[in-house]
Amino acid sequence: MNWLEMTLCFPLLGAILNGLILRSESKTLAQIVSVTACFLAFFSALFLSYDVLTHHEGLKVYHLASWIEAGSLSVPFSFLIDPLSSLMLLIITGIGSLIHIYAGGYMSHEKTTYRFFAYLNLFVFMMLLLVTGENFLIMFIGWEGVGLCSYLLISYWFEEDKNAKAGMKAFLVNRIGDIGFLFAVFLTFKQFGTLSFLDLKNILLNSHTLTQEMQNSIALICLLMLVAACGKSAQLPLYVWLPDAMAGPTPVSALIHAATMVTAGVYMMTRLSFFYFLAPQIMTVVAVLGCLTAFFAATIALVQNDIKKVLAYSTVSQLGYMVMGCGVGGFGAGVFHLLTHACFKALLFLGAGSVIFAMHHKQDMMEMGGLKKYLPKTHAVFLLGVLAIIGVPGFSGFFSKDEILWKAFNYPVIGPYLWAFGTLTAGCTAFYMLRLYTLTFCGENRSDHHTKKHIEETPVIMWGPLAVLAFLSVFIGFVGVPAVIGDLVGIPNFFEHYLEPVIKMPHAAEENWHFLRDHHSHALEWTLMGTSTSFVLLGALLGFNFYKRGPKGISLILKKKFSRTHKFLTNKYYVDEFYENIFVTPLQEMSQFLWKIFDLIFINGFINGVGRGLMISSALSSWKNSGGLQTYAVFFVLGCLVFLGFFLK
Amino acid sequence: MFQLIHQYILSLLIFSPLVFCGLSLALKDLKAIRVLAVLGSFVTFLFSCHLWYYFDESLTGIQFVQHYQWISSFGISYFVGVDGINLLLVMLTTFLTPLVLISLFEKKEESTKNLIRLLLSLECGMLGALLALDLVFFYVFWEAMLIPMYFMIGLWGGKNRIYATTKFIIYTVFGSLFMLVAALLLYLQHYEQFGVYSSSLLDLYRVNFQNINTELLLFSAFALAFAIKVPIWPFHTWLPHAHTEAPTVGSVILAGVLLKMGTYGFVRFAIPLFPNAVELAAPFILGLGVFGIIYGALVAWVQPDAKKMIAYSSVSHLGYVVIGCLSFQNSSLNEEALLGAQYLMINHGISTGALFFLIGVIYERRHTRLFSEFGGLAKNMPWFAVMLIVATLGSVGLPGTGGFVGEFLVLLGSFQAKPIIAIVAALGVLLGALYMLTFCKSILFGPITKEENRSLKDLSFVEFLYITPLSLLVVFMGVCPEFFLKKMRTSVHHLSKTYHHYELLVPDQPFVSAVNKIEKRG
Repeated sequence: MNWLEMTLCFPLLGAILNGLILRSESKTLAQIVSVTACFLAFFSALFLSYDVLTHHEGLKVYHLASWIEAGSLSVPFSFLIDPLSSLMLLIITGIGSLIHIYAGGYMSHEKTTYRFFAYLNLFVFMMLLLVTGENFLIMFIGWEGVGLCSYLLISYWFEEDKNAKAGMKAFLVNRIGDIGFLFAVFLTFKQFGTLSFLDLKNILLNSHTLTQEMQNSIALICLLMLVAACGKSAQLPLYVWLPDAMAGPTPVSALIHAATMVTAGVYMMTRLSFFYFLAPQIMTVVAVLGCLTAFFAATIALVQNDIKKVLAYSTVSQLGYMVMGCGVGGFGAGVFHLLTHACFKALLFLGAGSVIFAMHHKQDMMEMGGLKKYLPKTHAVFLLGVLAIIGVPGFSGFFSKDEILWKAFNYPVIGPYLWAFGTLTAGCTAFYMLRLYTLTFCGENRSDHHTKKHIEETPVIMWGPLAVLAFLSVFIGFVGVPAVIGDLVGIPNFFEHYLEPVIKMPHAAEENWHFLRDHHSHALEWTLMGTSTSFVLLGALLGFNFYKRGPKGISLILKKKFSRTHKFLTNKYYVDEFYENIFVTPLQEMSQFLWKIFDLIFINGFINGVGRGLMISSALSSWKNSGGLQTYAVFFVLGCLVFLGFFLK
Repeated sequence: MFQLIHQYILSLLIFSPLVFCGLSLALKDLKAIRVLAVLGSFVTFLFSCHLWYYFDESLTGIQFVQHYQWISSFGISYFVGVDGINLLLVMLTTFLTPLVLISLFEKKEESTKNLIRLLLSLECGMLGALLALDLVFFYVFWEAMLIPMYFMIGLWGGKNRIYATTKFIIYTVFGSLFMLVAALLLYLQHYEQFGVYSSSLLDLYRVNFQNINTELLLFSAFALAFAIKVPIWPFHTWLPHAHTEAPTVGSVILAGVLLKMGTYGFVRFAIPLFPNAVELAAPFILGLGVFGIIYGALVAWVQPDAKKMIAYSSVSHLGYVVIGCLSFQNSSLNEEALLGAQYLMINHGISTGALFFLIGVIYERRHTRLFSEFGGLAKNMPWFAVMLIVATLGSVGLPGTGGFVGEFLVLLGSFQAKPIIAIVAALGVLLGALYMLTFCKSILFGPITKEENRSLKDLSFVEFLYITPLSLLVVFMGVCPEFFLKKMRTSVHHLSKTYHHYELLVPDQPFVSAVNKIEKRG
């Protein structure tokens, strides 16, 4: 058994043990099994990455078995380990392990935790398939598999109708994206006759000119994959499932809906960067879509009162940044933000989880406040997370966000606009994060007397993982310090170099992307950095000052003054209602019509009518064969009369 | 002994259920009949395993042939054989029947005895129809299948059973009669061309039609019979009634095997017998198939009754099979699509079988199938929930279940042949998830609204016994499709490339190759 098989095997084994074999009521047993599985996977992934990166020149393909073979299609179970997939492996299993530990504390009041931990392990397994798959279809197993686990975990507390509905919504919206994925696969197969990433990469990297037909197909494939990414990574217009997904337990939100699954779209685009480079027009769409999503979601986050909803919209917004990064050709920057975001957003969600746990499952920030003194440890790590996400210089979020904004600025024509919106979004982010922080931790506690009495700091099993994540959130950014700063302090940009072998530019695309290699003055970069940082500080200051006295004071005045805008934002631009009225309800009505009118009355009625018609006609004709002698006699006489009449005329 | 079994394996397979059915007449005790029947169907299953094991997947022709003159002056014979196209359907039949019989183990009613006997004779009918290579012989079994099913719905069914079963029988016989007339005309056509009477399929495949209109007419008659059986929209309205009224075992067999007779008919008879006509009519049938996918899915979504929902979902799923079977491309059939369609037939049998069993489980407990009566069952019936979710996922076509492999291949293939068909059909992937998850949610999730549901018991041992194999198979078919695909590949390839002048070869010494194989292995 090699390291790869072990990495994949442990989480699956954990899921099967917990979910199908042990099904133990004991919480400790369930947790030990799943945490062990995840940790073993983490260590195997470490060894695997080390092995591949040092001994195999950073690239190794594992063929495990054949899967589907039909006609000219051949899809094996094959896996690719390269810098990108090892990075993802480590994020998933590493942060996954921390969240598994935390979950033990968070779920300690639940009855059937074996189910929870089984799903969690299954999720890790599916996610690993997604990031290690060497062809489209293995990736697709993971792609739909994580969707399944997400569905199961969102509706984990299935007794509540709302949760079951949220799970369904997530699955269905993701399925829309998955159809895009499927058609990209069909088109790839039609055009190239293979589904293997490495084969495709070889074909495209080595071709100098592409026919028009080929270019069109590539553009279409990229567009279809973008639809898939919109579903999974919650971009406009398919982001609607993610905020509802907060119905799941908080560790799930941290692992699936912040750190790993939702970043799958960014991973996938990076994996297919050689395709995307060849479709510059689609890349513009990607960049604009990411930028709009980032801004749009940030504005909604400004006014939400549910602590998890704020973080959810924040996630959508941050994913928008990553997608924008990919769209402007900075795949490395996108993945870098993926990495830092995985750390600080997991921290923030888990921190929010601790708050919710301490507040006895209350999520409304209006009922919180002043938790600084009740939860000092949680407060400390949470604050670090806030500083990281808003991008205070030196913290991890600063480096990755700045990298994306800088790349965006250099994009031709629309670049400065992308940058401007990105910077505005950064300001909004600082505002709503500080609002969240202030409403939760500062000022006076606003909860009812009963709750207030029972607020306690969380156990070590919960704040321990938080401390580790806080450490990462602060320092992980130093692996990718941009050159303009790095040159000053003497730290090389380690990260960009690391991903270089994965993100290759096809020859045929080079002329469209020459600006990526252009040199710009450091002064410009410093200016932009300074501007965005001042926006962040401004946002943070406003956010803090508006809410430091709780939901009173300036914030109340503003709310009254802009009540219409406020209402529009709190109702999330009425997007959900729009979809409901435009798609869901008409579809339902049409289905009812098809069934009750078309099927039952029209088709069935016609067929029964034919039957009835036959019965009536046979009843009519059987009347003459009744078998009654009198009738026959009457007919006989009548016949004779007619006969006679005929002859006697 | 072994040699003997090997030589007569197909006859043994077809008639052993009938023999056991006859034996059961001698027994009085319900328990003894049950054990005998399960044993009998299991023996049949073992025979089919023998078939599976010694089937040589590298040959394009038919294997294990048995060919005896029946009415020699008319060229009618008892002619059976196996190739990659019917092998898996035979396996499906012999696999489902024991499970269906086991599911009757908890029934106490005296009338169950006859139900068991009917099931055994039905198995004989299905196997005969699947293995027949003589048109007349096929027709006899095709009609014979209807009789047990007619009584099953009519005697063990629900409130409207008489209406449902009459509709079922009249509808199917109506189609079959057209087929009978067309078969006779085909038979005469063969006589005209070759000067001998023969109803052997292998001979009839050689018939060339001078006049395309004749061919179209004959094809339409065959197609109507098969389309009603599948059922292709708009010939589907008998199915929801039949399913709702049928007892659980009837539904399982009906959805699991009988519906596939229609699509099997297309592949075995309609396409190779009338290649030119099929090509002409294909766009029309494809249109109906695609429309059926969407229509079935939408109507399934708003059903208040679980069985009706599954019935409409079958209309939707079999639409995929239809488009997979008829994806013509550059005067050949698209191989991926055809293989996918064959695979989907098997998978639909397994996952829909499981779904009907599971609905049967809650019907036994609550005597209703209305969604509004359920909700929140996952709390008290965790294993039931696991099984239902697995079956649902199989039906939705999640990667890692058999449904995915089939649907993927069908869509991939039809996208190569006719993109527009695949694009519309793919909407069914979304709608499929929509109605299946709604189904799952309204039974398993949400608060418990009815008091009666609080005390429901989880799956019993017997229920485990017949549901678990299906659930495992749903996953196995998704992870190791190669295990099944390899048996079908050669035959499907052969059909897809040469359906214009289709020939099924019978090896001169049918047993030599197989016997050699035994010696090699042994």
